Amino acid sequence: MRIALVSSAVILLAVVAIEAQRGTAVLLVNLPAQARISLSATSVTFPDADPTTTPLVASVPVDITISVRARVQPNGQVTLTVQSTDDLRSGVTVLPPSLITWTVTGSGFAGGILSRSAPQLVGRWTGSGVRIGTQNYRFENRWTHPTGIYSATLVYTLASP
Amino acid sequence: MSARRRTRRGLRIGRLLLILGLLAAPAVAGAQQLELTISPLTVTFPTTDPDTAPVLIAAPVTVQCRVRANGNRSWLLTVQASGDLVASQSQIPASAVTWEATPAPPFRAGTMSSTQPQTLASGTGNVNPAMTGTVTFRLTNSWTYDAGTYLQTLTFTLSTP
Amino acid sequence: MRKTLWHVGLSTAVVLLMSTSAYAQIATQPITATAVVGARGRITLTGTINFPDTDPFTNPTINGAGLTVQALARVAVGAGVSLTVQAGGNFVSPGGDAIPIGNLTWGTAGDTGFNATGTMSSAAAQPVGNWTGPGAHNATQTYTLVNDWAYAPGNYSVTLTYTLTSP
Repeated sequence: MRIALVSSAVILLAVVAIEAQRGTAVLLVNLPAQARISLSATSVTFPDADPTTTPLVASVPVDITISVRARVQPNGQVTLTVQSTDDLRSGVTVLPPSLITWTVTGSGFAGGILSRSAPQLVGRWTGSGVRIGTQNYRFENRWTHPTGIYSATLVYTLASP
Repeated sequence: MSARRRTRRGLRIGRLLLILGLLAAPAVAGAQQLELTISPLTVTFPTTDPDTAPVLIAAPVTVQCRVRANGNRSWLLTVQASGDLVASQSQIPASAVTWEATPAPPFRAGTMSSTQPQTLASGTGNVNPAMTGTVTFRLTNSWTYDAGTYLQTLTFTLSTP
Repeated sequence: MRKTLWHVGLSTAVVLLMSTSAYAQIATQPITATAVVGARGRITLTGTINFPDTDPFTNPTINGAGLTVQALARVAVGAGVSLTVQAGGNFVSPGGDAIPIGNLTWGTAGDTGFNATGTMSSAAAQPVGNWTGPGAHNATQTYTLVNDWAYAPGNYSVTLTYTLTSP
């Protein structure tokens, strides 16, 4: 009995001698919600054209490439809209913004009709990510438009709740 | 039992004890001494737009190690994440975290893992006086990450396997 | 064996778990849209003006088929627009015979602004319609030719020129 007890004690000491030192740290990343929109053009122009042969005038440039970057809460909604700040104006003469329409390419992007009274949907997505598409504007060209050079500011708004 | 036989038996027991004692002698009398210090305890990544900073770089972490009574044996310093970086229901893979470390050697660069400890430094013999390494953690920044505050525990282990 | 013990600051970790982030984000980007609307005009005439041979006794006048007239003008607000027609001369046959162009008249039915009637002239452009500002104007002109026993037999023709102007 005495021998067995001594042997057990010696073996236990041998196990304790081989060990490691450990320490912990905490990794912290705070990623706030962020949104960024990039457009390939800062202006579009609809050149003069014969309304009979060109009832819809394409813009120059033909396409605007839109890049939408958003970091949101899980399954958060991301929406892109565009709204005209005013009618198309040439001095005191105005034309309604609804003469400008657009088509799009790219998943989640939507075509529409320009308005000054309410933002119009250009795209809608769910969750964080990068979405890229193109927008192609058209101007409804009529014989009834008074002559002039008409301009308006179009404001794109990218929002996430 | 005769006195002669009792004496022989006692000597055998003594020799057995001596042998066992000698076997245990290195653990008791000259066991490795390991010291590990990490500062700071929190590794914080800055908050920056992924377009501005595709890689987030945390402030350097100081790792100090001392190994004594190690003879010619090897020593190993590893680090492992307890899981992916987690914020509520969102996750960032632990493998998105990498690091650079100096001086190299014995420190080395690596990629974080939550399944296997990754070598941060290694060597043989003693490290005395203590050596100080600087570890700079990097996180791949992406618009696909959900917004949130992500946390995870890192475990540093200094051992003499 | 000496052991060096090392502890983690657990209280610090707890504070971090309670952190929150701002979620509402808005980014805007303006662009300018410009539409150039230039002055231009277009006249579209559809149809042919033919007067068949008929007995002057039973048909002292001959009506031609209707001529569809479309005047398109894009001008400034308040700018005047006029449409006129003028003959290149009298009706003339290959044999040199002539019918006075004044024997050709017309009536118009259509949009406001067209003159209801008119008499052709080769000396001066005759008004067909007048408007103010931009627009598209449509009407049908019906030409009438006096059918006179004094006409020498023959095939007579004349060129009529329509002109759309805005001062």
